[in-house]
Amino acid sequence: MTEPVLVVEGLNVGFPSKAGVVQAVSDVSFELHAGEVLAVVGESGSGKSVSALTLMRLHAKSTRISGRAVFEGRDLLTLSDRDMRSVRGNDIAMIFQDPMTALNPVFSVGSQIIEAIRTHRDVSKQAARARAIELLDLVGVPEPRRRVDQFPHEYSGGMRQRAMIAMAIANEPKVLIADEPTTALDVTVQAQVMEVLRDVQEATGSAMLLITHDLGLVAGTADRVQVMYASRLVETGGVDDIFYGSRNPYTRALLDSIPDLVSDTDRLVPIPGNPPSLLNPPSGCPFRPRCSMATDTCAESVPNLTTVGDGHATRCHHADLLVTEGAS
Amino acid sequence: MSTTAGDALLSVRDLVTEFPIRAGVFRREVGRVQAVSGVSFDLMANETLGVVGESGCGKTTLGRSLLRLVPPTSGQVMLGDRDITTAGRQDLRELRREIQMVFQDPYASLNPRIPVRDIIGEPMRIHGVPKEEAADRVSDLLTRVGLLPEHGNRYPHEFSGGQRQRIGIARSLALRPKVIVLDEPVSALDVSIQAQVLNLLDEVQEEFNLSYIFIAHDLSVVRHTSDRVAVMYLGRIVEIGPRPSIYEQPSHPYTHSLLSAVPIADPRRERARRRILLQGDVPSPASPPPGCRFHTRCPIATDICRTEVPKLREVPGGQQVACHHPLAPGETLVDITSR
Repeated sequence: MTEPVLVVEGLNVGFPSKAGVVQAVSDVSFELHAGEVLAVVGESGSGKSVSALTLMRLHAKSTRISGRAVFEGRDLLTLSDRDMRSVRGNDIAMIFQDPMTALNPVFSVGSQIIEAIRTHRDVSKQAARARAIELLDLVGVPEPRRRVDQFPHEYSGGMRQRAMIAMAIANEPKVLIADEPTTALDVTVQAQVMEVLRDVQEATGSAMLLITHDLGLVAGTADRVQVMYASRLVETGGVDDIFYGSRNPYTRALLDSIPDLVSDTDRLVPIPGNPPSLLNPPSGCPFRPRCSMATDTCAESVPNLTTVGDGHATRCHHADLLVTEGAS
Repeated sequence: MSTTAGDALLSVRDLVTEFPIRAGVFRREVGRVQAVSGVSFDLMANETLGVVGESGCGKTTLGRSLLRLVPPTSGQVMLGDRDITTAGRQDLRELRREIQMVFQDPYASLNPRIPVRDIIGEPMRIHGVPKEEAADRVSDLLTRVGLLPEHGNRYPHEFSGGQRQRIGIARSLALRPKVIVLDEPVSALDVSIQAQVLNLLDEVQEEFNLSYIFIAHDLSVVRHTSDRVAVMYLGRIVEIGPRPSIYEQPSHPYTHSLLSAVPIADPRRERARRRILLQGDVPSPASPPPGCRFHTRCPIATDICRTEVPKLREVPGGQQVACHHPLAPGETLVDITSR
């Protein structure tokens, strides 16, 4: 494999609160390679969005952070604000879930893309505008010459998300972080936007970190998958390893609990209970209270992320019991 | 399911619901949005009718119109031999005992200031159920939906999203209705919790002989819950029929492209898929296209589609379809468009 473009090591993120520190991300490490789509899957509160926001240094001042996130030899977490600004939107760009709140309503779409370009490139206004039109065209906004001067409210939801993608790829970033990029969109529009996202990612060769709770989206888009639960990575592997040969009870339970579009299921197998509080997590494995395989060992210690195959690792004391024939 | 209203529990005929568009200082009416444009269907006893469609297709307004939470502009909603749309105050109250609703957002649909016991008991208080009987029933309902009777003394904020939706379900069951309109009952919940609530809905349906109208945008969830499915587009039903017909042999190009756009949690299947990418967005319901409302995005539209409104008619697959060029069973849009 090629040199990774981004290496995250031992990332911890905590939010101090009156009741104590809420540990939103615990000991997360991963590598991201050029040209790949790495999906981060998990339910609300699992820490998937927080880890991405932290990489972009978009967290609140009071946040407690440790670990490293090395991009081109520099640790993003210790860069000065000024240096970080030259990375953000340039080398690493982010696409947010809700384009209506991520775009500024009082500036035209074009002027926001032009700003994104001119912040990082020494080009004339005219050249930046031409580039903005080119970008809007690339992401499939019809009549880009006219649309470039319109305001976000004049765009539909799908078009806004395209405009945000145009803005994110304006400087051909090496890393694209997409945080639930299509959750706010209807399925037919979601399919269009994902197609655009895949096309531009392929064209620019950037790496994409796709944060989502939609396992269908993961199955169709990702090369590799990381599953998060209660602030930790619980399993990581190739997309087929995760879907057909998972060695983690949470991943398996999650896959079992979703209804299927292509076959009739009589009864769903839900995961009992609720995700744990991050303020007072249970002892040992955080999934233990909901896990059908839990034993006394699981209460004693948090399992380590252990390699079980090529590029496949899981955090479970009983991973040995979860060997399947279906793995590719 | 031809329209023999005889054995239908609920029958809806030509239902239209409009909202005024107001503008200016005097809030003068300058136009109307027809959110529901002539919808007809029957709901049988113990069955679940799924209603699917994208945002703005009118599915939520349809659900609310059935209970007259928004007043329908014209058409009929017959519950037995009584018409909900024309019922007087007293009659409407009686009718609402039999048709209840569960809302999408379990955070917004429960009053934060009153304890859960009173939230579940309120419909019974309004409908004059004696206090002691009501109190017993609240405890039973709490237990039935998987909570504890002592949870009744707590307030909504003390519960998780899934638990709140259980409370909403308990409230809807309080008057022992025949029909429950479920408007996106699980879409605000995390996937691992969705299955819990879907299973609960399944159980109480059997136990209380309920009929459901299950409104959702998630086609996988609707497939799991529904006996029959209605697909809506811009205020109209474009296809309605038994679940297997809709999912395995969709006949309307819109149903077809909708199903082809839904991601499947199976990488091998995803890699093998050929998607129909619809162009553009759903047009505004304030100015729907003439003729077939789907023609602006339809890959196989012809001249007739631009001028003439297609009527729902039976097709070989067993469903009813409103399309001038319905697909034959087994035929796919990919075949047609790549011809």
